Amino acid sequence: MGVLDWFRRKNRVAAEGGIAVFQKKYESFKRLLDANNDTLELMARLEAVAEGDFIFDMQFIRSRSQAILQKVGSIVAELNILGDNRYQALAALYESLREKITQEITAPVDSGSVPLVMPLSQVDRRHLQQVGGKNANLGELKNRLHIPTPEGFVVTNAGFRLLINANHLSDRIRTFLDGLNLDNLEALTAQSRDLQEAIRNAVIPAALQEEVVRHYQMLTETLGYAPPLALRSSGIYEDQEYSFAGLFLTRLHVPFADFFPAYLEVLASQFNRRALVYLCQKRLVHREQAMSVGCLAMVPAVASGVLFTADPMGQRQGVMLVDAAWGLGPAVVDGTVTPDRFVLTKEPPITLLEQEIQDKPVLLQGSKSQGGLATVTVAADQRRQPALTPEQLLTLGRYGLRLEEYFGEPLDIEFAVDPQGRLLIMQARPLLVEAPTPETGRPAAVGAQEQVLIDGGTVACFGVAAGPVHLIQKDEDLADFPEGAILVARHTSARYGMVLHKARGMVIDIGSATSHLAILAREFKVPALVDTGVATKVLQSGQMITVDATHMRVYAGEVRELVEQAQKRTPSPIVTTPVYAKLRRVMRWITPLNLVDPKLSDLTPENCKTLHDITRFAHQLGIKEMFDLAEKASQRDNIHSVRLKTSIPFNLHIIDLGGGIEASRRAKFVPPEAITSIPLRALWKGISHPEISWAGPIPIDMKGLYSVVSRSLTASSDHSDFWSRTFAIISRNYLNYSSRLGYHFATIDAYVSDSRNDNYITFRFKGGAADEVRRGRRVRFLGAVLEKLDFEVEVTGDLVVGRLWKYPRELLEEKLDMLGRLMGCARQRDMLMADDAIVDWYTEAFLAGNYRFAGGPQPTPTPPEQPPLS
Amino acid sequence: MAATIIIVDDEPDLLDLLKLILTEKTDYQVLTTTNPSEALAWCREYPADVLISDLRMPQLEGIELLKLLKEQDATIPFIIMTAYGTIESAVEAMRQGAFDYITKPFRKEQIIMTIRKALARRQDLLAQQAGRTGA
Repeated sequence: MGVLDWFRRKNRVAAEGGIAVFQKKYESFKRLLDANNDTLELMARLEAVAEGDFIFDMQFIRSRSQAILQKVGSIVAELNILGDNRYQALAALYESLREKITQEITAPVDSGSVPLVMPLSQVDRRHLQQVGGKNANLGELKNRLHIPTPEGFVVTNAGFRLLINANHLSDRIRTFLDGLNLDNLEALTAQSRDLQEAIRNAVIPAALQEEVVRHYQMLTETLGYAPPLALRSSGIYEDQEYSFAGLFLTRLHVPFADFFPAYLEVLASQFNRRALVYLCQKRLVHREQAMSVGCLAMVPAVASGVLFTADPMGQRQGVMLVDAAWGLGPAVVDGTVTPDRFVLTKEPPITLLEQEIQDKPVLLQGSKSQGGLATVTVAADQRRQPALTPEQLLTLGRYGLRLEEYFGEPLDIEFAVDPQGRLLIMQARPLLVEAPTPETGRPAAVGAQEQVLIDGGTVACFGVAAGPVHLIQKDEDLADFPEGAILVARHTSARYGMVLHKARGMVIDIGSATSHLAILAREFKVPALVDTGVATKVLQSGQMITVDATHMRVYAGEVRELVEQAQKRTPSPIVTTPVYAKLRRVMRWITPLNLVDPKLSDLTPENCKTLHDITRFAHQLGIKEMFDLAEKASQRDNIHSVRLKTSIPFNLHIIDLGGGIEASRRAKFVPPEAITSIPLRALWKGISHPEISWAGPIPIDMKGLYSVVSRSLTASSDHSDFWSRTFAIISRNYLNYSSRLGYHFATIDAYVSDSRNDNYITFRFKGGAADEVRRGRRVRFLGAVLEKLDFEVEVTGDLVVGRLWKYPRELLEEKLDMLGRLMGCARQRDMLMADDAIVDWYTEAFLAGNYRFAGGPQPTPTPPEQPPLS
Repeated sequence: MAATIIIVDDEPDLLDLLKLILTEKTDYQVLTTTNPSEALAWCREYPADVLISDLRMPQLEGIELLKLLKEQDATIPFIIMTAYGTIESAVEAMRQGAFDYITKPFRKEQIIMTIRKALARRQDLLAQQAGRTGA
């Protein structure tokens, strides 16, 4: 028998007024709790799968995301029932997350009904499959975020397919891609050249031609003049999981008369050598290839640059980096000009922290006499002037923060300043951020005898690699790049990306960590140092070296200890496959938890950024709504809201649905002896066990101890105090217990009666203040104990769920007693779980009744240090 | 000689992932295809040791592929991959003679272990067949 059946039976009196409302809301609350538990389990499984040990497909990502969305949708709906629709802001947030997740998991659509050309003013993320990632992002920030961007139109993937089919190139492309072989770069180069030639010579279908002309005329009318265009490629997978940084062609300053040859040239660039190598490396060859092209009115930029909304090297927290130079953008991203570097704070109000102004002798601009670009000398008095004004920097910073929040991840944003000084955003794409913390000095593994060849530079990708130097002085040097060599070159040219799959490391004279090549190095996890100034002078082809990019050093010869140490930290290649990349992108809207303040001062809908945040918010507010309702109902409806009077520092608030508290002793504060609820009584026996300590240096609300006797329930409805409570909703046979101590949650749902078929206990424990590994150890400790107590146990990440059912009453009472003890013992233990062996020690100690863990676990002995090599 | 494992699934990404894992962890020769007929043809052409197939495929259901393989060569163990919630169909595949089934998502070790068991089974069947032929 469920508690609601019992509840209905108990309240045979006509359901009217307060009791009917209470019953309806209680049912809603139960559904909220069930959906909350299901959601946490689904999320924990998703996190476990993302760790890199599982094999799954897109169908899995779709079905799990949809299951979580459905559960969280129910949670939001139930909370609004409980709160009389006071949580509409949460519903709106849920809708926006649902849309973002759905966009990520939607299967590619048949392009039959997609227009060949679309005005940019009608594009947003919903058109991702039709217009590619880059154009979809640009449309999104133009039309939904109303951030200034150039005007223009997009020739869609449907336009590309029409062209390819009309020219009978479809089968040729597929055969070509199926036969790709990276081992023979010369053959690949020849095949690539042929295919690109075929595309450049393709005939533009009349329908496509008409549509392009029509949209260009519309653009001309909007602007009041006939602009030259910037043609920007937008590959089907570009700027989503994969950067394709600098691999496809962008044509700037194209007069409309030259449009179609330029369009074909951009399309052909999809099959250039570097792009093909990248496709193979990223395991995307088998997927459909299509390209849409963004055709934007050319901005005659007086300055351009790149904004990174986070430090891509992960070295500095809370900053945004800006690189800017005079004229058009390519000068900044391809490394031909050393740009000005500005560092902005991320925390509002955005301020300029640092700036390094460079000498910028040349700039790129549209050629006045003909199409294309021209390099122009910068006026002497301008060369050392900052390329951006303080106001422009602050505007840029504000755009950056807004976009990062909207897209849910750090971004790499290209911008331009028009002649009127107005900032325009040209593109925004995900920025890969390195995780490791920076280290300085000589690493422990390196002996003093090792010869340092280079000391300094800028890290483009952390890590260590050893191999022979392969010096690149001209493009032909790429053709015979040996497997496992270290790439050494003067500049960070994106062309070098095509040999990154063979390179073990990279050392460059001039360039920045924001260049396309640096982005590619991070994507391929190739340890890389840039801006060393001297690499091509001090290193020679064939010379064996060890690059320690983390410590910004290059050593002569192979420093074996360093390489071996680094290899241990290398992640499995599995996590770089397309399905893993997609899972991680989807998960950024689902699993991160931003509501992490143990005092819950951040508990507002505005702070909810993910489905996990919504779940936590709704769970907490659901409990609060239920208690507020019980307090109101308690005066008249045989529902009693009471607090437990105890010397244990335990702020336990109880709603008695009936039969849970001895009738003659009902009051605002009741002693534990007054509890008649069978499961709560049993649990309390364990919680109050003399050997269990609930005091100690944890964020438990010590004030609660005193407040039990000094304040009434209604007087203590202040927000911050509310969250320090432990809650129990009880009846004679039922218990729903919910406790949050500091950073972890524990819940128990139990029904204990003389009818063993109705009986069950479900115990859940999640979270903690310690790191993920230690939290994982604590739940393994809990899981091991629960198994010994005959529970069916599931441990996923930092969540443990134990279930037991159809046991006789006496046995379940024993189990609840043990759960009470276990929760007390588990407090703060995650902090102490220093290694895996300790888990077993704690398990045995608990089962032996050593609840204070006297004697302490012995730390695992560390292996003796090896004697130095003689 | 390294064992040859043939895998068929309509999701190329899954094939790619599975191939990457198996070649990283084992020395098996791994052939993958999205086309069940091609998988069947490979079982004829190569000395295939195990066939791993998705249960639901648009061109040919996994169970139909299993029946065709059994007609062709009953000694090649057939492992079926299922999605969560299609266990009943997997059980039906077992009835039809599949060696084992594995539910997606699954751990690397799980598929490697299942393949090992299947290879042992294959050896037994071949030995039995040789014994019968010898007798």
